[in-house]
Amino acid sequence: MIEFRTSTQTWKERGERSATNGNRRSYSRGDAAASDACIVYNSEINPESRLRLFEEIILPHLNAAYNLARWLTRNEHDAQDVVQEAYLRAFRFFDSYKGGDGKSWLLEIVRNTCFTWRRREKRNLATVVFDEAAHTSCVSPPNQEEALVDAANRTILQNCIERLPEAFREVLVMRDLEEMSYRQIAEVAGLPAGTVMSRLSRARKRLEKCVGGRNMESDK
Amino acid sequence: MNCSRNLIEAYLDEELDPGLRGTVEEHLSNCRLCSEAHSRFREQQSSIRSSAPYYTAPAQLQQSVHKALQRAAANETAATVRSAPWRWLAIAASVLLAISVSWNLRQPKFRTAENELVAQNVLSDHIRSLIGTHLLDVPSSDQHTVKPWFNGKLDFSPDVKDFASQGFPLIGGRLDYLTDRTVVALVYRRRQHVINLFTWPSDASPVTESHFSRNGYNVVHWTYGAMTCWAVSDITITELDQFQGLYEK
Repeated sequence: MIEFRTSTQTWKERGERSATNGNRRSYSRGDAAASDACIVYNSEINPESRLRLFEEIILPHLNAAYNLARWLTRNEHDAQDVVQEAYLRAFRFFDSYKGGDGKSWLLEIVRNTCFTWRRREKRNLATVVFDEAAHTSCVSPPNQEEALVDAANRTILQNCIERLPEAFREVLVMRDLEEMSYRQIAEVAGLPAGTVMSRLSRARKRLEKCVGGRNMESDK
Repeated sequence: MNCSRNLIEAYLDEELDPGLRGTVEEHLSNCRLCSEAHSRFREQQSSIRSSAPYYTAPAQLQQSVHKALQRAAANETAATVRSAPWRWLAIAASVLLAISVSWNLRQPKFRTAENELVAQNVLSDHIRSLIGTHLLDVPSSDQHTVKPWFNGKLDFSPDVKDFASQGFPLIGGRLDYLTDRTVVALVYRRRQHVINLFTWPSDASPVTESHFSRNGYNVVHWTYGAMTCWAVSDITITELDQFQGLYEK
């Protein structure tokens, strides 16, 4: 009982937050936050209703799951594998979802899946070479000079974020791209909020330095 | 307010409560260095949001996830049908589990886990305050200077006491951010050691005091009226208990 009350409160606060902040990238199928609140999960319901509930609450966060996995693995195919595996895991463990923020709940699973997946891959591949060509922006610019400069900036930014140590990269992606609160990030990464704050700060400092350095190179 | 990169970033991330937000805004309008830093952070954030790729899930992934889920649900249905005779046993087991879980929730263990988390935060904050330059917002040994300084910055008024004659002189206070809210940190000295006393109003039911020790630091937690108090330092637990006794008097 206690736990449920807590998660409802948490949801309320988040609801207010996302109302002010907006979540421009959320998948448009239904209002995930609203259905999060109403759910009273019953493990005795039949698998079909369970799937329906899961698709209603967790599936809308597919883009967030893919974006995080893509930034963590730095590779399109691996990200897809990770997301698929994470969704199956999430479905299996759906009983442990007690209402509240479905996005944080899912991203925690995505993040863990990334790590187990990588451990497995490491056993298969002795070394992983950072492939510059595979990590350039896939956005093809129109043939205008401005667009070219724009694309160059995008590539610089993307490369610099990809080169951040993972502990910094993940908090930066969750904060600045997913627009999650410190508390949500703390929940996903299993860290105290203070650590989230300091990692975010260091991530931004490093990114600033990296982007500054690259811009100088390209000005030469 | 002192210049603080952390505060500016928390302000940018909309993580500050209205009181502190006002303080930061006021500081930004007066401090050129901080306001430059703030625009730099803001620019970086907006450039990440507009230029760094946000990878949306490809359509084929959407389809394959959907299919995989349906397969998993179908397998589950098959398994439920096969295991029908075991169903009652399963229900009995889950009832037992539910009872034991709810029983555990009633036990202080649940609260202890929550406290462990706060203790961890309190400890990190204490260490941060010693590493960084932000130990004191209001450096004063006079309780009548420290207490009014918090006026208008918080939605509560902390109890500020000085125990210089008992060997725990007050050296000042600062605003801090802990467990998702703004709290008061009162700073005391014990010989060469620093004690941070964090306090904030809490509607949680009064807890029995508790002690935590980690990496040579001691943390004592108690409630005082409607206030939650956490004292942390590298002095011995006995001395910290003595400090708690003084504060509660």
